Amino acid sequence: MKNRQSPIVNIQYSITIGWLYPELMSTYGDQGNIIVLKKRCEWRKINAQVLKLNEGFNEKLLDSIDILFMGGAQDTQQKIVSKDFTVSKTESLRKKIEDDTPGLYICGAYQFLGKYYKEADGNKIKGLDIFDLYTEHPGVGKERLIGNIAIKTSDGSVVVGFENHGGRTYLGKNLKPFGQVIKGYGNNSIDSTEGAIYKNSIGTYLHGPILPKNPQIADWLIEKALERKYKKKIKLEKLDDSLSQKAKEDVLRKIASF
Amino acid sequence: MNIFLIFFGKIVIFISKILNLGNGSTWPGHVALNIDKNFIKNIIEKNKDLKIILIAGTNGKTTTGKLIQTILEGSGKRVFQNTAGANLLNGVASSLTKFSSISGKINFDYAIFEIDENTLPLILKNIKPEIIILINLFRDQLDRYGEVNAISKKWKDALASLDSKPSLILNSDDPQIAYLGDAIKNEVKYFGVKGRKSQNTEHASDSTYCPKCASKLNYKTATFSHLGDWECSKCHLKKPKPDVENFDKYPLPGLYNKYNIHAAVLTARELGISNEKIKKALINFQPAFGRQEIIKYKNKKIQIFLSKNPASFNQSLNIITELKARHLLIILNDRIPDGRDVSWIWDVDFEKYLENFTEILVAGDRACDMALRLKYAGMDNFKTYESLKIAVTEALKGTPDNEILYTLPTYSAMLDLRKILTGKSIL
Repeated sequence: MKNRQSPIVNIQYSITIGWLYPELMSTYGDQGNIIVLKKRCEWRKINAQVLKLNEGFNEKLLDSIDILFMGGAQDTQQKIVSKDFTVSKTESLRKKIEDDTPGLYICGAYQFLGKYYKEADGNKIKGLDIFDLYTEHPGVGKERLIGNIAIKTSDGSVVVGFENHGGRTYLGKNLKPFGQVIKGYGNNSIDSTEGAIYKNSIGTYLHGPILPKNPQIADWLIEKALERKYKKKIKLEKLDDSLSQKAKEDVLRKIASF
Repeated sequence: MNIFLIFFGKIVIFISKILNLGNGSTWPGHVALNIDKNFIKNIIEKNKDLKIILIAGTNGKTTTGKLIQTILEGSGKRVFQNTAGANLLNGVASSLTKFSSISGKINFDYAIFEIDENTLPLILKNIKPEIIILINLFRDQLDRYGEVNAISKKWKDALASLDSKPSLILNSDDPQIAYLGDAIKNEVKYFGVKGRKSQNTEHASDSTYCPKCASKLNYKTATFSHLGDWECSKCHLKKPKPDVENFDKYPLPGLYNKYNIHAAVLTARELGISNEKIKKALINFQPAFGRQEIIKYKNKKIQIFLSKNPASFNQSLNIITELKARHLLIILNDRIPDGRDVSWIWDVDFEKYLENFTEILVAGDRACDMALRLKYAGMDNFKTYESLKIAVTEALKGTPDNEILYTLPTYSAMLDLRKILTGKSIL
């Protein structure tokens, strides 16, 4: 194709999305979040590539990442990931997060960023200790927290999703929740908090997956990534999200009728 | 007590049939079990000659059951099955009510029960089966079943604590299923399917890690999802040698049906039926409702491919692509039998298939979620409908008489669709 007249040269932005353990930590349609991030970049002519960080990945790869993503997992899989996080790999990730790298951590990944996870039988699994939070399973036979959920985030927007977790998460004093529960269980079904937000990293229990019906979160992550990389204020072009809005309203109607 | 419960159940079945209520296959059993929790056990103990075959797994229970029934009936046996989908304790109890005499006598040689994943351990406390067939385990309705590993652990515990010795028929290609054979001292036979050379399994692959030591599995060949010729990279646990991995004549298309057919053939052989008889019986096999079933409606043909989780949805897309489908209706519901969490549609590989279709219509309770999925898969030629009836009418209008309208519904959507097309309820 010829490009005869293009007086204004747009900078071609590009970002790299790091998908942590796509084979192990991906249980609940989590790849939908990756699809959404990638497509929303593509639609805006932002070059986005996805780097899969599988078991045994070289931690130096983290240097090139602009957005981090990690999904939920089954217990067995989570233990494999836990083993893969050596002391130095944990430090590399901590540095990335402390250094404002935007990231999205769902369910098991969210719990994993905390101090520990106490299993139903009392056994404690150490977390990465990057987020000031801990998670405890209330014991064998105790109900899992399952269902559609709606929360309100600090900017006032409503976020919908589906939660399904046995563990109850409790936030440390200085850690802000991602949102307040409107309907559903959230972190622990007691204090109406849901998820956590630390610097540019979001941890949440919301599947659905979260990004397709809440595209403003995807755009927030992309914007933060570009600003961090290109060191300037960036305003993303608006997209037609009427379909997302309709799908979100379907969930809200469902929740209201319960 | 039993006489009363059976009598009562039969009346309920009769009435719901006349009134087309569609709940005759679970409700009588539900009531019977509430009054007498040993209802199933008692009635089975009265019928010592009745041989029972149990089938469990995520995908393929109904078709495999129907295949076995067809083969057994072809060799002169009297067989009954629980209604497809009525596979909890109440469904089993209902079918016992339906097929027994008032006194509780069952004049059949075989009962084939398809059993829900979570119900298998419970049913094994009530029934001593002759054969247990475990077909596969895929991610499905995570809100209801929990994760794949959790189910296989429950099954393992249930099988290990059996005091009877049923034969086990297991899928050699599914690591979680094949491994169950290791833990049990019963007679075990395996079925598999020869796969293609492939290094990569599909995205929604649940069990690509060793069920014994949790190391990464290597695949020499793969069929679909996490099924294939697997071996652990560390402890070298590997796919057991299958007793059946080929058959001369397949009555149904599709790779996933090869597994169902091999499971049925292996079971029939275990029961002493000759290959000739098996082949002959399967010539006239008709698919179970909603499983590749073709319905004629006002001069048009509609084929239904029940698609209820990533593995079965991917397989449906695969086979209708092979059949050169052009007109497609997708129906996504999120009721209890479908699973309330629709996240799974993002694990379906739409990106691989969608360019083949000229027209796609989307309906169901969560039509917008499906539409959103298609949009992000790069589609723009789809239409979304709130009403299933209108969607069906429009889809048929757009399908020429000499073509087939292909429909991919979730479970309750399939029942709704059939009701529109046939005017009858099933469950």
